[in-house]
Amino acid sequence: MNSPAAPTISEEEFQKFRDFFYRKTGIYFEENKRYFVDKRLIERIKATDNETFRNYFVMLRFETSGKELQQLINLMTVNETYFFREEYQFTCLVKSVLADILPRKRCGEPIRIWSIPSSSGEEPYSLAIYLLEYWPQVNAYDIELIASDIDTEILKKARQGRYDQRSISHLPAHLLHKHFTTTANGAYQISDDLRNSIDFTQVNITDLNQMRIYRNFDVVFCRNLLIYFDDTSRRIAAEALFNALRPGGFICLGHSESMSRITPLFKIRKFPEAIIYQKPLR
Amino acid sequence: MKRVLVIDDATTVRMYYRQVLEAQGFAVEEAANGYEGLEKALMESFDLYIVDINMPKMDGYTLLRSIRQEPAICATPAIMISTEGQVQDANAAYAAGANLYFNKPVKPDVLALTVRMLTGEKPT
Amino acid sequence: MSLIKKSQDISPPVLEENRRTPRDRAGLLSQLENDAPDIRRWAALDLVEFPDTAEVLCAQLAQETQTPVREALLTTLIKIGNPIVVNRLIPLLRSEDAALRNLVIEALQQLPEAVAPHMKEMLRDPDADYRIFSINVLDNLKHPQAPAWLQEVVEKDDNINVCAAAVEVLAEVGSAEVIPALSTLPERFDNDPFMEFCVQTAIRRIQGNGNRI
Ligand SMILES: C[S@@+](CC[C@H](N)C(=O)[O-])C[C@H]1O[C@@H](n2cnc3c(N)ncnc32)[C@H](O)[C@@H]1O
Repeated sequence: MNSPAAPTISEEEFQKFRDFFYRKTGIYFEENKRYFVDKRLIERIKATDNETFRNYFVMLRFETSGKELQQLINLMTVNETYFFREEYQFTCLVKSVLADILPRKRCGEPIRIWSIPSSSGEEPYSLAIYLLEYWPQVNAYDIELIASDIDTEILKKARQGRYDQRSISHLPAHLLHKHFTTTANGAYQISDDLRNSIDFTQVNITDLNQMRIYRNFDVVFCRNLLIYFDDTSRRIAAEALFNALRPGGFICLGHSESMSRITPLFKIRKFPEAIIYQKPLR
Repeated sequence: MKRVLVIDDATTVRMYYRQVLEAQGFAVEEAANGYEGLEKALMESFDLYIVDINMPKMDGYTLLRSIRQEPAICATPAIMISTEGQVQDANAAYAAGANLYFNKPVKPDVLALTVRMLTGEKPT
Repeated sequence: MSLIKKSQDISPPVLEENRRTPRDRAGLLSQLENDAPDIRRWAALDLVEFPDTAEVLCAQLAQETQTPVREALLTTLIKIGNPIVVNRLIPLLRSEDAALRNLVIEALQQLPEAVAPHMKEMLRDPDADYRIFSINVLDNLKHPQAPAWLQEVVEKDDNINVCAAAVEVLAEVGSAEVIPALSTLPERFDNDPFMEFCVQTAIRRIQGNGNRI
């Protein structure tokens, strides 16, 4: 029996895929990503028992469940999470965003920040560390940090706050020493102070009923989640996030995500450090 | 090099304008809907926008009105090009902030010349 | 004070005014007409529990001017997604309001099964703009018939922009059978350079030249 030749991707097919993927996700692959993209496409073509790009693409384009597209997005994006990921957004928070919010705060009113999805906690703990270290006014305000994910197992890990080398590799050494201790088996344990400063809760972002109680946030970090959703789930999640924000509240998406593929509900705000979305004040 | 932002949801239309304008020495960027167009317009600077009307998430009129309200970019000229060929469409385009309105399809030489005129590029 | 933990209970003590008004069918329907956009928006979202209100929701969409309320109505209508929704949304493609039309296109794209029975008729409408909007629906519709419908358009339609819109989608979804029909287009439209460009692009993309077995 002949083993079938490995599928290849022609230039035209690459472009066709690139344009489709761009329309669906807003991620645009330049020509220099060709090898990266081809390799992953071929992997999926084989895994789905399609023999050619052509057959595979028809399936991808018309599959009602959208499962295969989700698989591909998983492969084409970074799925792991780590401390200080996309740090420029934290910088933007402490340098620009909070200053925009403060004038609307009444005396004594807390600042509410939400990390959803929090995954194993790297993102909300990064936020806590960033605020403590880099926001000069941190002691003048009450800050409530809430972190949510759909996955209860991952939330357990988050509450525990124990990390391996890979998770902390972007963290400056002095912050690592200050906020972590090393365990017997070489893991990094985050301090109890930080663990106690964050509320971890379980929620499905596409369940409007579950999401109902999450209100009055000033800033939401919703990074690297919506990209994996289909059009309708994205739309529902966007409504839920809109509900969760105060008027004038901000939302940060992952750097490969753009609101332009999701909803026009939010205003585009340009700060020196980043583009961030804002719920209109009125 | 003058920079043009093409905002149209049709891939082939964006490719077509790109081909015509790059041949004239313009640098071309693309956006696939009005919202993305606004985002790019705010992030980078352009000498001209080419804007379609019917697009998902944000239509061309809404985009133009938003551009005209943003102090940093409100003076950048914009050409609206769409399939709707009625006088009221041109009127609406003008009201929203377009400097010119064309009906699709636009002949390449007309497009090239108009873009030169509006961006102040020397005639060839 | 710095970082504080708000205990286990993260729900704010009293939820806004909309929580205090009845969330039953009648209550929500009357809130859909409230003067405050925020109340209309919440009513639109909550009416997802009552699919039989689809007609009212569509009527509200047609007259609603606030983007957040429109978006909420659309989210609910997509979730309801039954044939009544589609029947009521399709006529809105004739609206003068570009933003509304594009919302409707977006919704119809999500409802392939309910849209399919209407598509042939939509593509034969006398109004060219309306035919283009119908093709825009196909642009993102997961329906296996889409290539065949589009092929009929490129074979029969005599409006250049309608054909160009169909060619654009066929560049993504078309297969080899449609190439002969595509090839005749430039000639039918006086060798218009834009049409030539679209057709060449589509044919190249349909052919690809990947490894076929
Ligand atoms: C790639 S992580 C993103 C973590 C972090 N925000 C970051 O950017 O590094 C994605 C997380 O989304 C969570 N998730 C998936 N579907 C969800 C849903 N419907 N609601 C809430 N969380 C969800 C997963 O459990 C996973 O932990």
